[in-house]
Amino acid sequence: MASLRGVSRTARALPLSQLTRPAAPACVQQRRSNASAAAAAASPELQELEVNSTLSTPDLSPEEKAQFRPWKRAKDRQLNLPGSRYQYHPPKFTRGPLHPIQAPPASDPIARDFVPGPFNNPRLKQTYRSTISSDLMTLTYNHVIPGTPDREPAERLRTWEGDSPYFKNRPKRAPRGAPQLMVREKDITFRNIPELAEISVASYVPDCKDNPDMLLVARMALLAITGAIPEVTKNKTDVQGFGMRKGVRSGVKVTIYGHQAYEFLDRCLNIVFPRIKEWPGIKGSTGDSAGNLAFGLRPEDLALFPEIQGNYDMYPAKMIPGARVFIKTTATSDRQARLLMQAMGMPFYGSLKD
Amino acid sequence: MSTKMGMGKLPSSVLARPQVLLPSPSAIQSSSSSSSPRIPLSITQVRHATFVPRPRRPYTFTQLVQLSDGSTYTVRTTMPHGLLKSTKDSRNHVIWQPSNKSLRNVEVDEAGKLAAFRERFGRGWDLDSNKPAAEESSATAAAVAEAEGKKKKAAEAQAPKQEAAPVALVEEEDPYDSLTDLISSYAVEDNSTKGGKSAKEQGKLDKKK
Repeated sequence: MASLRGVSRTARALPLSQLTRPAAPACVQQRRSNASAAAAAASPELQELEVNSTLSTPDLSPEEKAQFRPWKRAKDRQLNLPGSRYQYHPPKFTRGPLHPIQAPPASDPIARDFVPGPFNNPRLKQTYRSTISSDLMTLTYNHVIPGTPDREPAERLRTWEGDSPYFKNRPKRAPRGAPQLMVREKDITFRNIPELAEISVASYVPDCKDNPDMLLVARMALLAITGAIPEVTKNKTDVQGFGMRKGVRSGVKVTIYGHQAYEFLDRCLNIVFPRIKEWPGIKGSTGDSAGNLAFGLRPEDLALFPEIQGNYDMYPAKMIPGARVFIKTTATSDRQARLLMQAMGMPFYGSLKD
Repeated sequence: MSTKMGMGKLPSSVLARPQVLLPSPSAIQSSSSSSSPRIPLSITQVRHATFVPRPRRPYTFTQLVQLSDGSTYTVRTTMPHGLLKSTKDSRNHVIWQPSNKSLRNVEVDEAGKLAAFRERFGRGWDLDSNKPAAEESSATAAAVAEAEGKKKKAAEAQAPKQEAAPVALVEEEDPYDSLTDLISSYAVEDNSTKGGKSAKEQGKLDKKK
């Protein structure tokens, strides 16, 4: 049966007797067999080879053609064949790499977690790739004479000083006044040029206590401006000022990555920020000292997004929320992140915090 | 062999439903019918079967954005409009285009009414009147020079010229003569701030003196 699979479909439909008959005229077969007989005599393994080529098969006779009726075969068939559509469905659960049933990779179009795209190349990303990244690397280049020994960074953890024998091998203490070590700034090299990693947009809607629709509108607004489905957040603690209880749904947030993040930033910089009245820029003191910047958008600023402006009537009056936007970069300090953002076209005002 | 490769594609036997995720109907019925305290159904996922969720994403359209200078680019967006023509964007905003003079907020005083007002009532009504005197004089001088270069019309540039002359004189004359100006500039109150000082702020000022 395995040998039948290589034959064409028309040939397969024929009775088996037709396929096994002598294929070529005797003279041709004779000539070939002369050459192959010598080879067969030399090595007995070659005897298993088929001497006749399928290309030299003569045309079917009229009687044989009359006998070839595939429609009759299909009509006489008792059982229905499976449908012509592709019936495979990937498994709903992954059960580990050793399970016999394996889900296809996410890049496979039939996979459950497949996401099509990308459908365009964002303009800001093209600018970053072509111009900004090389500029950042070149302009922040710090020449070190080859052979200079690396300077040992200062020890930030505190050792246990004293006579006690228990201090030996005890792990060092955290720095005084700071429970966690801050990120150390690294020089920009060709390997770690700051890049946009992700953007989180969050909106806290304490008014949803009285009007639950506020949460829905906030969700719609964030969905429209980011292009990703937001998730609803709950209060972590009781907030006396807002009269909110712990565990009550009170906000929405969404995190976007990659092309979506670039496009969101591009839209902010080129369309939304210039439309804000009396806008001074982003506050220069923003940043968490680890290369992540943030800014806020008031409700009237959020309404300036073309996605909301183009369908403004859909949103109930005075229910569009404000939002906080967190830009996460791969920079290791705020000034590097600010350099990246300034190169992308984000203006800063006020005193800059490094 | 090709078993590993083909395993993902081949239709395989139906997976058994995880018991923890979907409890059997008999268990639900028994728990609801009996009066015993209800055991909350666990929705935690079992470790040996991880659910593969289908990604939820809104419909996005490809949109052509045309900025005010005519440059276009495509974006993926949730709004169904095919073309977005922007009237105000970073291409015609003074923050992003600082060299474009037409975008600057320049005081237009073609009829000379503002100059006449200032001649009569002084500059105390201006928003930037709380600037230091020297800076102000230099700023006015620069403004005057710019205005003269622009207009070059005697009729229109009357008032600024009149103002330019005393400024130039002040710089050349004895510094003690400008003492009155110094005092008057200190006496001018900040008109841009609304409301008076609080008792705390006033106390701080008194301490400084």
